[in-house]
Amino acid sequence: MAYIQFEHISKRFGNNRVLTDISLTVDEGRLVTLLGPSGCGKSTLLRCLAGLETPDTGRIILDGEDITDKRPAERKVSMVFQQYSLFPNMNVYNNVAFGLRIQKMPRRQQQQRVEEMLAMVELQGKENALPRQLSGGQQQRVALARSLVTRPKVLLLDEPLSAIDAKLRKSLQQRIQQIQRQLNITCMFVTHDQDEAIFLSDIIHLMHQGVIEQSDEPIALYTNPKTSFAASFIGNYNVLNGTAFAQMVGDAMTPHDVAVRPETINLLLDAPENEPDRYVLPGEVKEFSPHGNVIRYTVRVGAQDLHADVLFRSFKLFHPGQRVYVVVEKRNCLRVN
Amino acid sequence: MTHEQHPVLAAGAPPLARRRSPARNRMYLLALVPFVALIVTYELAPLLTLIVRSFIAPKTGVFTLQNFAAVFQKKLYRDAVLNSLNLSLLSAAIGMLVAFFGAKAADEATPGRRSLFMSILNMTSNFAGVPLAFSYIILLGNAGVLILLGRQFGIGLLESYNLYSFSGLLLVYVYFQIPLGTMLLVPAFQALRPEWREAVSLLGGGPARYWFRVGLPVLLPSLLGTFSVLFSNAVAAYATAYALLGGNYSLLPIRISEQFVGDVIQKKEFGSALAVMLMVLMIGVTMLSNRLLHRPTRQGAAHEA
Amino acid sequence: MKHDGKQRLNLTVMALVSVYLILPLMLTFLYSLFQEWTSILPTGLTLRYYADLFADPGFYMPIVRTMIISTVPVLLCSLITLLAMYVVVVHHPRWQKIMQILCTVPYSLQGVILAISVLALYSGLPLPFSDRIAMLVCTYCVLILPYTYRGIQNSLNAINARQMIEAAQLLGCHPLAAYLRVVVPNLVSGITVSAMLSVSLLFGDFVVVNIIGGSYYSTAQMYLYKMMFRSGQQTSAMIVILFMLTLLISASVLLLQQQRQRNAQVKQEEADGIHTV
Repeated sequence: MAYIQFEHISKRFGNNRVLTDISLTVDEGRLVTLLGPSGCGKSTLLRCLAGLETPDTGRIILDGEDITDKRPAERKVSMVFQQYSLFPNMNVYNNVAFGLRIQKMPRRQQQQRVEEMLAMVELQGKENALPRQLSGGQQQRVALARSLVTRPKVLLLDEPLSAIDAKLRKSLQQRIQQIQRQLNITCMFVTHDQDEAIFLSDIIHLMHQGVIEQSDEPIALYTNPKTSFAASFIGNYNVLNGTAFAQMVGDAMTPHDVAVRPETINLLLDAPENEPDRYVLPGEVKEFSPHGNVIRYTVRVGAQDLHADVLFRSFKLFHPGQRVYVVVEKRNCLRVN
Repeated sequence: MTHEQHPVLAAGAPPLARRRSPARNRMYLLALVPFVALIVTYELAPLLTLIVRSFIAPKTGVFTLQNFAAVFQKKLYRDAVLNSLNLSLLSAAIGMLVAFFGAKAADEATPGRRSLFMSILNMTSNFAGVPLAFSYIILLGNAGVLILLGRQFGIGLLESYNLYSFSGLLLVYVYFQIPLGTMLLVPAFQALRPEWREAVSLLGGGPARYWFRVGLPVLLPSLLGTFSVLFSNAVAAYATAYALLGGNYSLLPIRISEQFVGDVIQKKEFGSALAVMLMVLMIGVTMLSNRLLHRPTRQGAAHEA
Repeated sequence: MKHDGKQRLNLTVMALVSVYLILPLMLTFLYSLFQEWTSILPTGLTLRYYADLFADPGFYMPIVRTMIISTVPVLLCSLITLLAMYVVVVHHPRWQKIMQILCTVPYSLQGVILAISVLALYSGLPLPFSDRIAMLVCTYCVLILPYTYRGIQNSLNAINARQMIEAAQLLGCHPLAAYLRVVVPNLVSGITVSAMLSVSLLFGDFVVVNIIGGSYYSTAQMYLYKMMFRSGQQTSAMIVILFMLTLLISASVLLLQQQRQRNAQVKQEEADGIHTV
């Protein structure tokens, strides 16, 4: 039995259809991600679970209980927001203790729980600080502690790291993962960053225009996108329509789009031997741009531009205008819808 | 695609059906009750009655424009409109001029001096109405200190100065316009970036070019906004004129209140028409300054008021 | 060198404006201290006029009345607006625009029009409506509404109130409790400033009280107006006292604010003292 069940959830804002008949389940103790571009409805779905939005149709079941009509306060769900929503008039201790005060927990016990949480997010000694005296990352750790202190059934994270700079984001991702595993708490994480989703998630639900495009484990989603949207959003795949692909490789037509991951494409100066399980296509380098340890080439093959990612291992570079051979294994040319 | 097109399917699975909307608790609307009550009874109702009443004939109760016509037929009331308009435009203009240079000086001054200057403005902006009028009476009234000085030294201009006139009123009105105008303009000057001046001088422009091409255009919204605030402030001012001249000088606010209180027989309909005229003047100037503002295609240039 | 000259010019401008503004105030003060001012210099330094005022039993009531009538509407208006803002912030963010318009209309009505329109509407009606003091209080509430609203709205703009309430709700709070515990404390300093402005505005009001209050509720300003025709010196003394009171209001609220900040700090330290044991 799934821990969380969304059944046929739809939601409109005015004439704008934000969620269309969404059904998905989450198992207990897993970290699942709603991934998608902005406006795809991922945050709205999360807020439906929190009770901050009411779905137009469908129901939501949490831990065997229909919570669709419950007030947010009764759902035992907590949330970390994108903008640090710490209470600016309270210090760190009081922010974290807030939920326990509402529950009227005895002071001693409160104190113990708060200390425990602050230790977990490594903010001991910051009890007296006001939110504005903390860095963005520290504030988000306080928000995390504040959300976890009441031991919710589900922790929701709505783009919690997108306001934080790239370097710090990595370490916060690790911390979130570590805490999630340590507490074995069910988490739903919303993000538009595919790297973040791939790193953190047990399951990724890829969303697009109010529907779920694909639900899969990160590696499966990355290596095996089912739709052209999934292919272009997740792996920066080269997505070609069937006709264009057929023309390029000189095969028979396929009715499906074909997706090719840039790092599966090899570039060679000299023509390699033809083998049946791969395509060898002549092309011309149009431009290149370094991305960290990878160089991305744009290569013109026939009438198509292909992106190829080559590990930045040596000083050997291809130059714009240079003729090259593009080598792609056939099994790496995925059919997508 | 959606199951709405498959009623059979939907009927088979209850949770798929359209959700009944949950019984929403609307108790929170109670929090709005005091506010709505206040607004309705003391803002909207009085204002609407006032406007409606200005179009009603006193005896017969039918719709008429006679109340407005009467304003212009009698010299007393025509003067009130003209005097109020002149006094407000002139005092706002003079106040603006002083405020402009005051705010410019404050903006360029050291922080210490600026904050001292701002405190003085803040303090003296509290000095208005009856106390202000009285203070000018002892300064420039019939036995005022400056008048005495004028007599002593034979300065004709001071000796024969008449505070109880248009120029006297203007003098007193300008006094309360200056602190207000300056306080409104200082933030606007602070929005002028020093880089702009540097950029103009790098391009070979002098101070005059800077002010006419950059400074004033950027300040324009604030200047117009401040002007309309000062105008409204003057055109509706009552206490100062009342304390200085009582009913002896025809100004709109004085004439309006006379129709509702005091010795003259109450003429509510006529008074309402006068009040509507006053509102039209205020709204007119505000709209005019907005219009001037939006003529060059500027966005988001709403004035302070 | 050019810079120096400019600074000197600025200083001159500010000094001239300051002198112009302070002169009438200074003069009124001097006038209240001397028996006679018929030649260049005043003669007969005395505190008699102040003593006379304080000895007059009729002097205190108007002051007390003024204090009551300039604080009660401010408290009332702040409370009413805060409650209404709860509905707007939490439940109906779209009503924000209407709220803003309703709250800024009184600003463009100014005292005269508001006062006469209220008087014209209610003075002819039976008692609960035509009670002058209730009329005065409510008119004042509406008159200061723009300032109260601005004060609250500006502080609201500085925080993400909606999200803070959502966070508190998820931690088990009722939305109203969340508003009161989490949002309102962050508005206090903004409200205090606008309240201070409103109090000093009402303290100096003559228009509304003269039109609506009339002889029913004689405030210090009315008392002052009547006194003007009796004694110049005494009037000056009264003006000085009233002005001092106005300054005192501003200063005391400022002080109060600082103290609150200090208190909050101390309380926090105490609380932390318990926690860190």
